[in-house]
Amino acid sequence: MNCIEINNLSKIFNPNTKKAVAALNDFNLSIPNGTIFGLLGPNGAGKTTLIKILLGITYASTGDAKILGEDILNYKVKRKVGYLPESHKYPPYLTGEQVLKFYAKLSGYSHSELDKRIEHLLKQVKMNKWKNTKVKAYSKGMMQRLGLAQAMVNDPELIFLDEPTDGVDPIGRKEIRDILFELKNEGKSIFLNSHLLSEVEMVTDRVAILDKGVLLKEGTVEELTTDKEIYNFEFENFVNANIDLYKEQFSIIGHKGSKLTVTVNDTRELNKLLDRFRNDGVLIKSVVPQKNTLEDMFISLIKESEENK
Amino acid sequence: MKNILILTQFTLREAFSRKIFIMFSGVTLFILAVAALIFSFVSVDDFQGMVNVNGSQLEIFDKIVEVLKLVIVVPLFGIGIFLAIFSTSSFIPHMLEKGSIDLLLSKPVSRSQVILGKYFGGIAVVFINIAFLILGSWFLIGIKFGNWDPSFLLTIPTIVFAFAELYSLLILIGIITQSSVLAMMLTYLIYFIISPILSYRDNIFSFIESKTTEYILETLYYVLPKTQDLSTINSELAAGGSVPDWMPVILAFTFIILTIATSITIFSKKDY
Ligand SMILES: Nc1ncnc2c1ncn2[C@@H]1O[C@H](COP(=O)(O)OP(=O)(O)O)[C@@H](O)[C@H]1O
Ligand SMILES: [Mg+2]
Repeated sequence: MNCIEINNLSKIFNPNTKKAVAALNDFNLSIPNGTIFGLLGPNGAGKTTLIKILLGITYASTGDAKILGEDILNYKVKRKVGYLPESHKYPPYLTGEQVLKFYAKLSGYSHSELDKRIEHLLKQVKMNKWKNTKVKAYSKGMMQRLGLAQAMVNDPELIFLDEPTDGVDPIGRKEIRDILFELKNEGKSIFLNSHLLSEVEMVTDRVAILDKGVLLKEGTVEELTTDKEIYNFEFENFVNANIDLYKEQFSIIGHKGSKLTVTVNDTRELNKLLDRFRNDGVLIKSVVPQKNTLEDMFISLIKESEENK
Repeated sequence: MKNILILTQFTLREAFSRKIFIMFSGVTLFILAVAALIFSFVSVDDFQGMVNVNGSQLEIFDKIVEVLKLVIVVPLFGIGIFLAIFSTSSFIPHMLEKGSIDLLLSKPVSRSQVILGKYFGGIAVVFINIAFLILGSWFLIGIKFGNWDPSFLLTIPTIVFAFAELYSLLILIGIITQSSVLAMMLTYLIYFIISPILSYRDNIFSFIESKTTEYILETLYYVLPKTQDLSTINSELAAGGSVPDWMPVILAFTFIILTIATSITIFSKKDY
């Protein structure tokens, strides 16, 4: 089953005015249960707007969506959902522990186990020491940790995190990543918004790239970062003298010792190259399609979409 | 229903985290303590001595109790509601701040539950304060003068009801403008100026002989909160009388229903 299903979703803020903004444009997406999903995009791409629509905080202009199999307009489905907003304010007069208790109750989670669960969560986000301190004294990083605990307090099946590592130091980020992996192991689905690509690359199973409200690409990190047209070869023996002959026929973009980087147009051309190596008696140790970082791909994709405008 | 209850409790808690309510309760306690002190120094005989000279003793004695009750209730209606508006006007704008409204709406609560929770929470807070003061005074008067007339207690619902009417307006303005200052100012304007003027519109009609003015004032009277009329009812009840005219009560009740319904409708359509 899919934890999220979005059909032809569009959002225009302030329609029919001069200030009209198309924040989302005919957005379609399905995310299977148990996935850590990363939505990437530059500032203003529409990431936060998408989450807010899924949670009923903002309304879609057209289209519809389901979370956990229920229409998003049915507010009761949010019992099983957690959310860490981009900016979050808690009643300053409450302590960290009281904040968790309040939002748990509001989520309809009032088990006899609640106190124990809160205790456990506070330990998990390393805020146990501060649980009796009023939140008005918390730092940005502490707020973020409390926010994460708050997003998990009702034992949700689906968790939305909007820029979760914002304002958190590197150690904190590592801790947050570990928590995300734990949640995944428990079978939870996680939807993550971020503009920090390296972060996302480390935790997500699938990613989508959003720019100006348009979904540019979606797939596994593997799929998105593998550029099928560039191959790295490594050889046992390679007759250096032949290289110029190869260059006449193929586009060799790198050559160093027994290593060669080649661009091919398609699989047919790749096999032609392999045949040629075989004919020349070259011993191939490995052929590896070149992997870009998510960042490389992201930048080229955004550029491309800019040029096409 | 459960959600409304949680939100009501939460609003109560927000109110009591404010200094203004602690102050309000402090002043209440202080007034009660001063009254108790005065009562303990002045004996009933002194009062009787004072009034022995003229008239029937019992009659004048009752008059004193009545005046005493009015001295408590009339300022309470004015100052109590003034403070109550002051301290509840920020409830909605605070709730609508970025970061807190997102979180609230991401929970399994409907938007009408949010409004109702805020509404009942604000009323509960004022009810607790007013009931505390009135019950306290009632006990003191009862103990001192042996006057246990329960009709005095009817001023509790009356004052709270007058606040409830204004508070529904605070909520509506808060939802539309997200400004506590604006909500407070407009509500004060109606409470202190417009409602008293409209309540005495008949006197104005005798000065200005214009059918249009009369028509406008008459319409405004029916449309806007009638806190001045409720204040009159309040004083009547305090003095042991009964409600002279139920019309303002019915109209105020209609006003509350319509204002809250409009607030819910507007709130339910907004993007946050
Ligand atoms: N409430 C709003 N009213 C008008 N425009 C908005 C509102 N919220 C967001 N936008 C606009 O929608 C676009 C997407 O914003 P957002 O979803 O916050 O982007 P992201 O989270 O990807 O940085 C931006 O151009 C932003 O200015
Ligand atoms: Mg954002």
